[in-house]
Amino acid sequence: MNAARRNEAALGAVGAVAVVAAWEAVARSGLVDPAIFPAPSAAIVGALTRLPPGEIAGSVAISLLRIVEGFALGAALGIALALASGWYRIFGNLVRPLVEVLRPIPPLAWIPMAIVWFGLGEPSKVFVIFLGAFFPVLTNAYRGVTGVDPVLIRAAQTMDIGGLRLLVRVVIPAAMPDIATGLRVGWGLSFGVLVAAELIAAESGMGFMIMNARQFGDVGVIVFGILLIGACNLATDWGLALLIRRWLGRWHSV
Amino acid sequence: MRRALDRPSVQGAAFLVALLLAWEAASAQGWLRAFAFPPPSRIAEAAVEMVVSGFPEGLRLWTHLLVTVGRILQGFFLAMALAIPLGLVIGRAPVLDAMTAPLVTFARSVATLSLLPLVIVWFGIGELSKVVLIAYGCFWVMLTNTIAAVKYVDPVLVRAARTMDVSGPRLFATVVLPAATPRLLAGARVALGVGFMVIVAAEMIGTIQGLGALIMEARTFYRTDISIVGMLALGLLGIAFTSGLSWLERVLIPWHTGLAGVRR
Amino acid sequence: MALPRAIDAPAAPAKIAISGVTKRYDAAEARPPVLLDVDLDIAENEFVTLIGRSGCGKTTLLNIVAGLVEATSGTVAVDGAPVTGPGRGKGMVFQQHALFPWLTARRNIEFGAKSRGLDPQAAHAEADQLLSLIGLSAYGDKYPNQLSGGMQQRVAIARALALDPHILLMDEPFGALDEITRIEMQDELLRVWQSRRKTVVFVTHSITEALMLSDRIIAMRANPGGIAAEYRIDLPRPRSRADVRLAALHEKLWEHLR
Ligand SMILES: Nc1ncnc2c1ncn2[C@@H]1O[C@H](COP(=O)(O)OP(=O)(O)OP(=O)(O)O)[C@@H](O)[C@H]1O
Ligand SMILES: [Mg+2]
Repeated sequence: MNAARRNEAALGAVGAVAVVAAWEAVARSGLVDPAIFPAPSAAIVGALTRLPPGEIAGSVAISLLRIVEGFALGAALGIALALASGWYRIFGNLVRPLVEVLRPIPPLAWIPMAIVWFGLGEPSKVFVIFLGAFFPVLTNAYRGVTGVDPVLIRAAQTMDIGGLRLLVRVVIPAAMPDIATGLRVGWGLSFGVLVAAELIAAESGMGFMIMNARQFGDVGVIVFGILLIGACNLATDWGLALLIRRWLGRWHSV
Repeated sequence: MRRALDRPSVQGAAFLVALLLAWEAASAQGWLRAFAFPPPSRIAEAAVEMVVSGFPEGLRLWTHLLVTVGRILQGFFLAMALAIPLGLVIGRAPVLDAMTAPLVTFARSVATLSLLPLVIVWFGIGELSKVVLIAYGCFWVMLTNTIAAVKYVDPVLVRAARTMDVSGPRLFATVVLPAATPRLLAGARVALGVGFMVIVAAEMIGTIQGLGALIMEARTFYRTDISIVGMLALGLLGIAFTSGLSWLERVLIPWHTGLAGVRR
Repeated sequence: MALPRAIDAPAAPAKIAISGVTKRYDAAEARPPVLLDVDLDIAENEFVTLIGRSGCGKTTLLNIVAGLVEATSGTVAVDGAPVTGPGRGKGMVFQQHALFPWLTARRNIEFGAKSRGLDPQAAHAEADQLLSLIGLSAYGDKYPNQLSGGMQQRVAIARALALDPHILLMDEPFGALDEITRIEMQDELLRVWQSRRKTVVFVTHSITEALMLSDRIIAMRANPGGIAAEYRIDLPRPRSRADVRLAALHEKLWEHLR
């Protein structure tokens, strides 16, 4: 880490500490009701004493499992459909309008139909998360496939590469940066819809944890839950970004 | 006729119509349950019902639409009004940028919908909560995009302008801002998408007005046909909102031709 | 030395026969076509250079010969068979290097070698040889974005050579090189051409380069694009830049292109 980076990190730490300290100070000043606006320390300590650690870990695990399931489905289907509709002109002509009709419908608007189709169990939650991941992956991958520099395809064609091999060896690698972007956006949206998905008659998960806490007016647990979901999102997104950099960073800048 | 079928849009529309007809036929045959998959004709009837008499009785589609648009626009513009000036300042000041970076990153990672219970405790289940939720989601997206837009303006452009003796506010207005515009537009587009996502969840609580409320409410009355009308209305609304922005984007990147000229 | 075409045309059956090729990118356009009624026969193992102003249709003609772009009318035949698509022994070096950014220099070259059917080991050996030919043995593991413009262009040439095509289409391959490397690469190209015997269609903006390399120089005109004149150069290689006969030709070409 060079000096400039170290400087930046130090400034960032100062900024973060300042904001947390200000929040703590306001909460403890007596100007606001700590039951409604708890200090961060109070919220975290309170939540950790009221909720057994096993329960918290369980909530995190079940939420992450739902996200991974929905995301994996959405990413796989999104990439496959993007490749097919981006590369095969006729297929693309047929499918594109259908996608254009469905894509603007927000994932959460599917919740009622998800309940009708899949009931109140796990599948409907996974379905909503799936929708969150599917469309961003699809649109980004589609852009990647159709945006491949034509000269690269021509170069491959002069080397007798055509058909499926052209798709696998040139188009997909060239579209990878866009696919990676889609995966990150899709992952973020999976987290974004998590809470709503867990509103569907859930008895577990981080979304349930905070909605449940509201019933008891336990703002400390709500704040803790918000921070916990944010931290999980941040950490996993960071991991995903690292993977992508490992995977594409050698030839693709940023 | 053959010429017409060669047109991509005609092919796509024909496929869509064929799907709808197949769906209708499958319903008529009893292969698809009308409750789970209301046939297109039922959805069309429901749409007419929504326009004429409304659901719940008296709340017409138009009313739901206006309520939803009002909430989105309030939240969206509140966010824009705060995020753009703040982002422009932070993006031009490296120290501020470094100080706020971790906070912004974390705040953006906080799932907007996870704030729902907190916002209810703070602001109740009325209008304010909904607008605050939408504004929160839009704000952080727009802020990060504005910061990046200003920060990553090609330094060559700035240097070129300097050699032409342009600096200060004029540099900002004539070079930095135009160069940042594509990114700002992209940010606004994403923010709008967030707004549309949040509104549905926000309207699930404490209201019977708005498209989000409509689709939830209709299901509890076993009117999935009306739920679908609500979903389609939300989709159309989204298209209307984004088409303005994407038109601007098309004007800004007319060179994007992609694979049009490649033999395959 | 500028002889009428009827006499100048090579006696042997043409390796590449371009006849009546016209190209319009936009059918509705009022401008003259990009290429109008181009006829050109190229003999086996001939080294032909296209030269002409920017925008006169050199890249377009090369793309049509490669089978990458369809002519609006007219035909191109290789060995008597009409060209219907790319591949089949026609290697191409593009004006923009067109390297695959996700492959290292070595892998790019191996990509070419493998697509002609070499097994991985043979492709590796071929890549070694070509890397040393272009003077980049130490850079095999670099990605295109880690190479300079000239290095990228050299790798692109090596990739085309790795195909071992019998026709080599080169679109300003040395345009991005410095003068010294450029002259070295010209010598290398001639060496490869003489040892592996290929039919080369070469595009350049440099009159000197055309004179040093070619059996025949085709001067093109623009609007509509077509052949303005051709010059046969029967001087043995290696040629000297100071040769007075070349100097005279230089004058004539300059007159035509101006
Ligand atoms: N894909 C295309 N669509 C439309 N017009 C094109 C296309 N490619 C080339 N042209 C036009 O055809 C003409 C010839 O272009 P071409 O690239 O063949 O020229 P060139 O002789 O190779 O030029 P240069 O020396 O600058 O590379 C130009 O007027 C150009 O605008
Ligand atoms: Mg050219």
